[in-house]
Amino acid sequence: MTKSADRSLGSFAKDAALAAIFIVLVIALTLASPNHSFISVNNILLILVQTSINGILAMGMMYVIIAGQIDLSVGSIVGLSGVAGALFAQGGGSPVIAVLIGIVVGLGVGLLNGVGVAYGQIPAFIITLGTLTAVRGLALMVSGGAPVAGLGKDFRELASGRVLGIPLLAIYFVIIVAIAAFVLRRTVFGRRVYALGGNPVAAAVSGINVKRLTVVPFLIAGGLAGLAGVLLASRTFTGSPTAGVAYELDAIAAVVIGGVSMAGGRGKAFGVVLGALMIAVIANGLDILGIDSNAQQLIKGAIIVLAVLIDVKTRRD
Amino acid sequence: MKKRLTLALTATVAAGLLLTACAGTPAETGAPSTPANENTTAETTAPEAGGKIAVMMSHMTNEFVTTVAEAAKAKGAELGYEVVVFDGKQDASTQVTQIEQAVTQGFKGILVEPVSTDGVVPGLIAANDAGVPIATLVQRASEQDLAATYIGGDEVNAAKLQMTEAIKAIGGSGNIGIIYGPMGSDAMLSRQKGYQEVLAENPNVKVAFEDTANWVTAEGLQLVENWLSTGTELKGIVSQNDGMAVGAVQAIENAGQKGKIMVFGIDATADGIAAIKDGGMQGTVSQDTPGIGRLGVETMDKIIRGETVPPEVLTTAQWITAENVDTVGK
Repeated sequence: MTKSADRSLGSFAKDAALAAIFIVLVIALTLASPNHSFISVNNILLILVQTSINGILAMGMMYVIIAGQIDLSVGSIVGLSGVAGALFAQGGGSPVIAVLIGIVVGLGVGLLNGVGVAYGQIPAFIITLGTLTAVRGLALMVSGGAPVAGLGKDFRELASGRVLGIPLLAIYFVIIVAIAAFVLRRTVFGRRVYALGGNPVAAAVSGINVKRLTVVPFLIAGGLAGLAGVLLASRTFTGSPTAGVAYELDAIAAVVIGGVSMAGGRGKAFGVVLGALMIAVIANGLDILGIDSNAQQLIKGAIIVLAVLIDVKTRRD
Repeated sequence: MKKRLTLALTATVAAGLLLTACAGTPAETGAPSTPANENTTAETTAPEAGGKIAVMMSHMTNEFVTTVAEAAKAKGAELGYEVVVFDGKQDASTQVTQIEQAVTQGFKGILVEPVSTDGVVPGLIAANDAGVPIATLVQRASEQDLAATYIGGDEVNAAKLQMTEAIKAIGGSGNIGIIYGPMGSDAMLSRQKGYQEVLAENPNVKVAFEDTANWVTAEGLQLVENWLSTGTELKGIVSQNDGMAVGAVQAIENAGQKGKIMVFGIDATADGIAAIKDGGMQGTVSQDTPGIGRLGVETMDKIIRGETVPPEVLTTAQWITAENVDTVGK
């Protein structure tokens, strides 16, 4: 009882610390930006848009990492699903079906990853490293190494459109976060994912079908990456086979900054969203200040380390 | 039996090597000069066309490189060569290994698009040592005189053409943003040099923003979104390739400023051409991409047949706008 109270206090302190860093960052960038343009309504919407692709990937990555695994293949899935969706849309196909194609592509790779880990006993790091490489190769083969351009207006609207002045990408992002957070905290499945990552042996003893459950987070990560790939193709109006290179690292960074334990079993969607926002805010704010992108990488790296440091220091159970 | 077969094979390979060694002396003397070629013709009796030519691309992941490679293959087939394309995977040591292998596998000539201007030098030396003619494509090597010749565009000139036309289009004055390729990469540096030369003559044009988007469309998009967020008035955006320029076009459209800010690219790739037809992009530079592949194989054919070639074979840069976009040759 006291232990769980301690833990929730620790978790609260961590959330608060993370939120505090975020707020300080926002205030600093606002004060530093010319005419305080950083905090304008347009720029806030822009930050949401710029967070969305990585944020969607991070939601999938969150499930995988809480389940005690890792998925390095999501960036390559973004490339392949973007090419697949764009090729379909190029022939005049409906954008909705293009999205479904992208999601199916992602689910396929996710299934391969999950089955390989759960039933093939291959470490997640290894099999997803394999699919990271293979899927990128497939994207280049399918597209002939060239970006797929010449996409219709409908396809562009998918990500670039607005509803009541709010960019669609931001809306998708918010909906996906809401669903991902709800499923993780409020459903039996979500609790089982925590149990699986926290202590797989105990999970098995308590009657959970561990192998089958292990596959699901990979499906979620793959499917969301497939969705993100088509959305990115729509946003850039090109299905580029090289899109999404190293995106898995930004997704992992968002998850880690958000306080999810790399050992599995702990973490919340709130933190991950903050993590993803923080990455976007750094890039956006420093671009506005005219600081070059090499320095931005330095700052991002420092924040990742700082976030994990806070995680370690606030964990006292 | 097996031993004899091996012996026979070895003999054939050795003979092949000897032949290629004799056939390809031009680079051996270091300079791509006439005497070397004359020696070749004197030693071997009228070398013939045919055989294998290696085309070593730095990578095979965008339209530019695939177009060069395809054009080279087509030209090879026309001239009676088998053109084999190698993918250097953006790794200098992989590329050198590929050159070393090609040298031992009876290739009659090698065209290489260096992954790195310095990193390719060991490969040039290996080919020269074996007497296989090697020429650089798209980009020069740091020790270019080790290569038989250079075939490609003139990056500095292409960039000057782009910046000159861009400044003309925006009316000769105002703020611009520049999107660079990967900082410190050779194409980025030479295109930047071209920009600087033109900007020095146009003091009324101010560079309000400049940063890299690593040749990537999504990065170009985000960068320009953030620039526009500052409210700084921009008249034009000059991008070091079409892919990033297309990203800029998207950002401008999303901000509802289509037509107010002009966008200019280089390379004339399909995405850039589409954006020009669509009205989002105002101009790009064609450096005759398929021409680089074609000229490469044509030039190598001449070297193999012992003809003299100039130290540089350059394609012409052409300014492409909505007016002449339909005439861009394939």
